[in-house]
Amino acid sequence: MNSGRLPRPVLALLFVVPFAVIIGVWVVVKHALHVSDDALASPAGVLAAARDLTGWGILPFDVSRSLYRLAIGSVLAAAIGIPIGLLLGTSRTCVAMFAPFLRFFQSVSGIAILPLLIVWFGFTEKTIQIVILYTALVPVIFNTMTGVRTIPPVYSDALATLGGGRLHVIRSVYLPGALASIVVGLRLGIGYGWRALIAGEMLVGAGGLGFMIFDARRFHDLGQIIAGMVILGALYLVIDRLVLAPIEAATIARWGLERT
Amino acid sequence: MARKSTTTVGKDTSRADKAGQRQGARILVDGLSHKFVDQQTGEVVQALEQVDLTIESGEFLTVVGPSGCGKTTLLNAIAGLVHPTGGEVSSDGAVVRGPGRDRGVVFQELAILPWRTVRRNIAHGLEIQKIPRKEREERVGYYVDLMGLSGFENAYPHQLSGGMKQRVAVARTWAADPNVILMDEPFAAVDAQTRITLQEELLRISTVSNNTIMFITHNVDEAVFLGDRVVVMTRRPGRIKALLDCPIPRSERTVDTMARPEFAAFTERVLQLVREEV
Ligand SMILES: Nc1ncnc2c1ncn2[C@@H]1O[C@H](COP(=O)(O)OP(=O)(O)OP(=O)(O)O)[C@@H](O)[C@H]1O
Ligand SMILES: [Mg+2]
Repeated sequence: MNSGRLPRPVLALLFVVPFAVIIGVWVVVKHALHVSDDALASPAGVLAAARDLTGWGILPFDVSRSLYRLAIGSVLAAAIGIPIGLLLGTSRTCVAMFAPFLRFFQSVSGIAILPLLIVWFGFTEKTIQIVILYTALVPVIFNTMTGVRTIPPVYSDALATLGGGRLHVIRSVYLPGALASIVVGLRLGIGYGWRALIAGEMLVGAGGLGFMIFDARRFHDLGQIIAGMVILGALYLVIDRLVLAPIEAATIARWGLERT
Repeated sequence: MARKSTTTVGKDTSRADKAGQRQGARILVDGLSHKFVDQQTGEVVQALEQVDLTIESGEFLTVVGPSGCGKTTLLNAIAGLVHPTGGEVSSDGAVVRGPGRDRGVVFQELAILPWRTVRRNIAHGLEIQKIPRKEREERVGYYVDLMGLSGFENAYPHQLSGGMKQRVAVARTWAADPNVILMDEPFAAVDAQTRITLQEELLRISTVSNNTIMFITHNVDEAVFLGDRVVVMTRRPGRIKALLDCPIPRSERTVDTMARPEFAAFTERVLQLVREEV
C-alpha cells in the first residue's frame, strides 16, 4: 500500500478535507446567492434541526430503530451467506452454475423488489427486513464464493495430506483464505442494505431514519431532511470503522494478506 | 504388471504408528503415465510416460532430473493428489485413490498457511489427529528447536524468510509423523550452512524412524548424500533414465565418508547422467 510521505496522524485526519470543502461550498452558495430557507437550509439550520429532533426524542428513536433493523439484516446475511458462499466456492461446477444467477440478483436492487414485497406482506416490518436481508445477502454469497476460488489449491491439498477432512479444509483453509473477500462482501452488503433499508422505511412508513427524512418533506423542513441525510452517511462511516475495519486489522492485515 | 488389489488407500488408513515399531510402506509405481490437458487451450502435455518404480519399505529414494520432467507430478501421483491418466500407484498393496495422512508431503510451493503462526502451522497435523495439547506442544517445541525457528514461534509466514518458511513446511510434515514422507525440493531456499545441518538431521531421523522417503532435488550432491538409491529422470515426458545404488550405506554417511573416492566417482556418474538430459 502506498502510505505517502505524510505522518500517520495527518493521514488519518485527511478524510476531513473533502467534507470541509463541500460544507464551504454550501455556505458560500447559501449566503452569497441569498438562497431562501425553503430551498436550502444553512449548516446552522441543520444543526438546530438535529438538536431539536434529538431533544424531542425523535432522532434517537428512529436511529436506533434503523440500526436495529440493519443489525438483524446484516447478521442474518452473514450467517446465511457465508456458509452458502463457502459451499458454492468449493466446486468449479457450482461457480459456473451460480455466478450469473447471483449477478442477476445483484443487479435487481432491493428497491426494485419492494413493490412485490408490499403486495405480499403489506406495509410491515417483515417487508423491511426482507429487503435488507435480500440486498445484503447477495454480495456476501457472491464475494465469499469468489474468495474461495482465489485460494491456491495447494493449501487444501496440504491439509488432505495431513489427514484433514472436508470440515478441516473449510474451517482452516476456505474460511480464513476467503476472509478478505468475505469482508469486502460484508462491506458491500451492509452498504447496500443500509440504502435499501432507508428506501424501505420511506415507502413502508413504520418509523426509522428513512421514514423520518421522508416525513419531514410534508413540513418543507429542509433542515430536518438534510440532518437526516448527514446522519445516514455518518452512521455508515461509524459502522464501517467500528465493525469492519477491526475485523480486517485483526486478521487480514496481521496475516500479511492483500485486501482484494 | 502388478497384481490389482481390491483394498484402496484413501483418507487416514494408518493410525499413528509409533516410531520404532514402524515399518515404512512399500510404494509401487506401476506403468504410470500422466497427461495434462490445458483448460484454456486444450493443449496436451505428456508429463510422465510408463514409469515403473518401487520404493522399498524404509528406503530413502532421491529423485533428480531436469526442470519440467515430471518429478512433482510423480510425487503428486504417489500422494494421491493427481489421478494418473495411465497406470497406478499402490502403497503396501493398496491402490492409492486419494491423499491420506499415511503419506505426508512437503510441497515445492511450501503450502504453509499464511493465517497460522509458525507454531500452529507445525502443530496442524497434530491438531487434526487430536493429539492432546501437552504432547502437541512438546513435539512442536522439538521441531521448532531442530529447525532453528526459536523466537519465531508466534510469527506469521509473511514475516519469515524463504528458507525459514521451508523449514516450517518440513517441520509440519515431520511432526505429523507420516509413514511415507514425500519431499519436493524442501531445502531449495535454505542457506548452505543450514542446508547441511538439515540434511544431516534428516539422515539421522530417517535411519531411526524407518520411514519410506522420496526426496526430489536439483542438487546432485544432496541426492547422493541422502539417498539409498538415486533416480535420474529423462526430459519430458518423464521416464526413469537410471536407478543407481549409493555405494555407502546411509547409516555410515558423514562428511568424511563422502570424501572417499568411490563416493566421488558415484557423484560424478550421477552428474554425467543428469547433464545428458539438460
Ligand atoms: N496442472 C498442470 N496443467 C498443465 N500442465 C502441467 C500441470 N502441472 C504440470 N504441468 C506440466 O507437466 C510437466 C511436468 O511438471 P512437473 O511439475 O511435474 O515438473 P518438475 O519435474 O517437478 O519440474 P521442476 O523441477 O521445475 O519442479 C511440465 O511441463 C509442466 O508444465
Ligand atoms: Mg517440481
